[in-house]
Formats: sequence, structure tokens, C-alpha cells
Amino acid sequence: MPTETAFVATNWQSSGIKIDKKRLKQLCKRYDKPGLIYLAKWALALFVSGAVVWATLGTWLVWPAMIAYGTIMMVPGYCLSHETAHGTPFRSRWLNETVLWVTSFIYMEEPLHRRMHHTSHHTFTWHIDKDSQMPFDTPMDFKGWLIEISGISLLKYHIKELLELTVGHFSQHTREVSQVGDLPKMARGARIFMAIYLGIAIAIFMGQLWLLWFLVLPRFLGIPAMMLYGLIQHVELQENSPSILESTRSFKTNAFGRFLYANMNFHCEHHLFPQVPFYALPELNREIRDQLPEPDPGFFRTQFEVLSVVIRRSLKKNTKAKSIRQAPHMITEGGYQPIATKSM
Amino acid sequence: MSEWVHVGQTSDIDEEDLIRFDHEDGRTFAVYNTEKGFFATDGFCTHEAQHLEDGLVIGTVIECPLHQGRFDVTNGRALSAPACVDLKTYPVKLEGDEIYIEI
Ligand code: FES
Repeated sequence: MPTETAFVATNWQSSGIKIDKKRLKQLCKRYDKPGLIYLAKWALALFVSGAVVWATLGTWLVWPAMIAYGTIMMVPGYCLSHETAHGTPFRSRWLNETVLWVTSFIYMEEPLHRRMHHTSHHTFTWHIDKDSQMPFDTPMDFKGWLIEISGISLLKYHIKELLELTVGHFSQHTREVSQVGDLPKMARGARIFMAIYLGIAIAIFMGQLWLLWFLVLPRFLGIPAMMLYGLIQHVELQENSPSILESTRSFKTNAFGRFLYANMNFHCEHHLFPQVPFYALPELNREIRDQLPEPDPGFFRTQFEVLSVVIRRSLKKNTKAKSIRQAPHMITEGGYQPIATKSM
Repeated sequence: MSEWVHVGQTSDIDEEDLIRFDHEDGRTFAVYNTEKGFFATDGFCTHEAQHLEDGLVIGTVIECPLHQGRFDVTNGRALSAPACVDLKTYPVKLEGDEIYIEI
């Protein structure tokens, strides 16, 4: 039987957050309705932005339209893949698993691989060599920012992992985060994904160009927005801390941002209580906000400050940000020491 | 040799909920009140050493609070990843309002 002393996961307990247990259980309650409403809104947003792409085909306006459509495809798609990997957004398990498969297909990560790798991101949030979802080296410089936001690094990782799973080769990290019985299931899932990707490629080659315009190109054009959202979850914050309050960032955003990002702007809250579904995070925030650091300013302001910091770091200038939270060792002048190497 | 141990009263556990019971010998358990009656399992999840006491009971399923692995509390079966090793279960008996588990 495991012992309690052997193990400290990064969550509300390791971060010293207090909450009434009955209240926590209420917040964890699962319903299908909020998740289905979210799905309906996503479908509507895709339909409207897709109609704009259709209407602008053949003009230069098709590119901004496709970036918007791609952003609407990728940011909620990524969020739903993440939420369903946790198994929290729906009460019905079949609904959860169906959405997990569809959105992970768009995200290009085999669903069980996604779920298992994400466990270590919660057990060891932002812990060097333990968190298997640290996507960039820290501290980040401008080159690192460009690579991250382009999505090249993530794409390389996804393709490599999918190919390896397909041929039944499992990376060290995958073996570490998985149980033996999971590996053949991952290989099977990866083969199914690869077969469908191949089918799509053949269909496009045979003249089904709508797949190119409405699936493949927007998928890649939506990636930078998805990466920008993901970037500010932990960038500039403390590695190896048991406290989520030091390693993780929440930020303010408007109603559209909360829709697009499925409330993941409450990112501290999510890491503290991963069992709380996305639709209950605003309520959870009201419950514990007096124990949390002030959320960082809005999405654009936070992005601007991060960009400004990474440029100044590359120029060996002072890296103190104006208002976003930074771990003390992130504030330097005249250069910096590498701390963490990315794990994916 | 097994023994019946008193773990609390039925009113201590809300419907669709659980309590933690720590035995004086150091072992820890989870005792559930479900739509199908009272059940008991080991206290720690089999995936990583996270206690289930803050988990969510959905019908007869316990969901682990750390990574949301799921188990059927009636037989301990691991239902979904990341949990894949079954939980050990223990017989439960009620004497009036008093709950006992056999460990
Ligand atoms: S510790 Fe319970 S599912 Fe991971």
C-alpha cells in the first residue's frame, strides 16, 4: 500500500490552499449540459467563421478569415482535448471519451498518450526532469519564444511521438508515465490516427480541396494563437516549487477570451483543483480568490510584457516586467543562466 | 486474521460521498455511501499515492482527485486511465447506524 509521506503532488494541499470539503465536492459535480452548451457554441463559431472563409475564397481576405477560423478551431479544440483528458467536462463517460478522441485528433496527440503525459504535468507541475509537459527551455529568450509560438517544436514532438507509437516504440518519458498495459493501446490509437491522416492526405491529392481549406490549413494557421495561450500558463514563473501559486499563472480576460480558452485563464485554480470542471472554475475562483495572487493583466497585456521580457533577455538587458508576475531568478541584467531544458 | 472495525455512523457520510478512515495500525481506507449501499476500499489510489478522500463519487464510481482515474467501489475494478490496477475492497456491515468494515 502506498504511503502518504512518500509523495507530494503539486496541488492545493502542497500550495497551502484551504477550502471547505463539502463546497469542493459541490464544485466538482459533473453535468452534461454545460459541456454540451460549450460544444454548441464552438460549433456555431466554427460555422460562422467557416462561412466567412467560404465567402472570401479567391480574395486576399481569405487569409485573415482562415486565421480567425483556425484560431476558433485550435484554441477550444486544444482546451477540450485537455479537459476531456482529465475526464471532467461531461457526466457521461462516452461523451467525454468521444470528444477526447475528436479533439485530440485535431491536436495531433494520441488520446491515451495525452492523458498519461498530462498526469505528470499535474503531479510535478513545472518540475525540471519530472514534468513531462515543459514545452520550452527556461528562462525563455526571444529565439525560444519564436520557436514556441510558431508551433514548430510542438509539431515536431507530436509527429515524432505519433510515428514512434505507430511502430510500437515508446520513449523513456512515455514508459515512465504509463503502465505496461497502456502501451499497446497507445500504439493502436496512434495507428488509427495515422491511417485517418493518410486518408485525408490521399483525399486532398485526389481533389477534395475543401479538406485543405477547412481542416489542414486552418489547423496550422490557428496554432500560434493556441501556443500564445499555452505560453503564459507558466512562463517566467518558478521551477521546482511545491506551490502552484509560484509556478502557475492566472490572468484576466473578457467573456470571449473565457469562451475561447474554456476558462483556462483560471489556470492556478485548475492546477490547484484539477478535479473541478472548466465550467465551475469561475465559481471556484470566487471561493478561494483571497488566497491567490492577483491574476495577471489581460491576455494582450500579458503577452506584450512576456515578449518585451524575452527580447530584453536576448539583448542582455534588465528583464523585470512591468506588471506580470515573475519568479525572482527570472529578473536579471547582463545575461542569464539556463535553468530547465524542455521535456517535449 | 481479519477483524471487523467500527469506522463511523451512516450519518457521517453524505449520499454519493465518502469518508476517510485511518486505522491505528497505520492503514488508511475510504468508506463510501452510494446508491447501492455502503462500500469500503483502500484509501490510496493505485496510480500514485493520492488519498481518495477528496475524490468525487459518481453513482458507484470513485474518481481520484489528482488525475481523475476511476474505480468501481463495489468491486474495486479500475475503470479508466490513468488508473489501471484495481483497488482492494473490504466487506462492510451495518449494525443499526453503525458501519463496520472487515480488514
Ligand atoms: S493518483 Fe489517482 S489517478 Fe493518478
